[in-house]
Amino acid sequence: MKNIVKTFLACALLLLVGASFAQTDDNEELKIAALEALMSAPPERALPIVNKVLSGNDSDEIKSRALFILSQISLPEAQAALIDAARNTSGELRMEAIRMIGISGNPEALSGLSDLYESGDSEVRDAVLEAYLIAGDSDAIYQIAINSQDPKEYEIAVHMLSAMGALEHLRTLGERGDMSETLINAYAVAGDVESLRVHANDASNPEIQVQAITALGIVGGPEVNASLVEIYRGSESPEVREAALDGMMIAGYDEGVLELFRASQDTEEKRRLLQMLVMMDSDAVWDVIDATLGNQQ
Amino acid sequence: MNDDTLTLYYYNDGLTGAERREVESALRSDPALAVRYRELCEQLDGLKEFDSLPAPSHLVARWHDVIDKAGEREAVAVVKPSSSFHFGSFFWGTAVTAALALGIAIGIYMSGSSVDGSVPANTYTDIIETPEARAPTAFSRGLLVHFQESRDQLTGLDAGANGARSQLIMNIIQQNRLFERMASQNESPDLARVLRAFEPILTRLAADDISPEDAEKLQAQLAFELNIVLTKLARQVSDKTDSIDI
Repeated sequence: MKNIVKTFLACALLLLVGASFAQTDDNEELKIAALEALMSAPPERALPIVNKVLSGNDSDEIKSRALFILSQISLPEAQAALIDAARNTSGELRMEAIRMIGISGNPEALSGLSDLYESGDSEVRDAVLEAYLIAGDSDAIYQIAINSQDPKEYEIAVHMLSAMGALEHLRTLGERGDMSETLINAYAVAGDVESLRVHANDASNPEIQVQAITALGIVGGPEVNASLVEIYRGSESPEVREAALDGMMIAGYDEGVLELFRASQDTEEKRRLLQMLVMMDSDAVWDVIDATLGNQQ
Repeated sequence: MNDDTLTLYYYNDGLTGAERREVESALRSDPALAVRYRELCEQLDGLKEFDSLPAPSHLVARWHDVIDKAGEREAVAVVKPSSSFHFGSFFWGTAVTAALALGIAIGIYMSGSSVDGSVPANTYTDIIETPEARAPTAFSRGLLVHFQESRDQLTGLDAGANGARSQLIMNIIQQNRLFERMASQNESPDLARVLRAFEPILTRLAADDISPEDAEKLQAQLAFELNIVLTKLARQVSDKTDSIDI
């Protein structure tokens, strides 16, 4: 009974506002308050009122609010209305409708976004990607990545996959031979040590190898620290060694650099490692300097 | 061993001596768990280090009041048996973390603050004392407080004051991520989606170069959406259903 009263009041408020007020800020605020009140009503009663707002002459702001109400209604008719708005409106309202499809998470509505993505401009495409991100639909973003011919679009999709922690999709992209700095960075953001280690030890593509080693430092942690020291020791390549040192610096692993310094018999190498310790602002550097100067005396 | 236990271990709270030793043993013997714990520590350290704005004293008093009253209600509440719906298990499973998140949120606001003092020692330990009995209200209360405070803070923001706005919004984002993570990990995708949807808007709102007009518009949008979610959440909690399908 309470719900019926609330629905009636919200409906009456919307009609009253529409009929008796000029288009003022107060009017808008009152309509928004009425839409909020609709949330207390049963969905099947709220839906027709929301649809009426969407098909009326209200401002985009009011309609955007109505779209959010729709996203919170799980009835199939509400999802259909969202799809309709995403297809048949324009500008900001269209972007909002796409976002709301992401919030609703309805698989059918989400699958309909792929058509919009294909035919849409850059704003629509960004909105669709954001909707997939909100919905946690990593499969859809993966499809965009593998079908993309545009490096920027690919980069955005891969970045989103990394933010979502979609390791399997990222690894599959790597296995397809799409290895790039973008993907290496994505592994780092997703914390995929396993993939990074594979590329860090693969000298077939020196550029990717160096990026992977440095990216290991971004992930950090004891496991990575040990790998970086191992990579440094196991390579004769100055680039690889430099990347391993950079990785240790990024990871803040001064103990590793100190270990290498103490083990080194090469003056030039020691000088480089000492510089690195200074750059890292390591507490150990003073002992090292003291010991080095002591040896020289 | 789940994140709830590791979180309690991190805060040295809520675990018996035997349970702590069990965690320590597990961390020594399970490298994957150790890695997971380190990640968790980094996240929680980040929260501690986050330089936040002090909370106004009236808000702090209100949080305490909300927590105290809820604690009193829970002490006499009869817990309904859970249905098979997944959100029930989400409530149960995340009770400790949710209550803790609330405590963390309060801690964040209280840290570095000139406001009258610290959180009472038993403010949130009381809540997590018997999670099995108190979980549903603890989680919903945590969310309600998060949404209410987010809405109030956004509404009260000066659209022109970029620096203060950015800092406050970054605080909201941090809390939002906590709840989003809990929802994702505990199979409540509906709730996770709503929380995820707030973040892009919050991020845009935190940008230094946003115009006052755009900031005002985004604040109004977020306030509305938070209101809607609050209404729905409050309605579902008051209905005492086991499910919250936001």
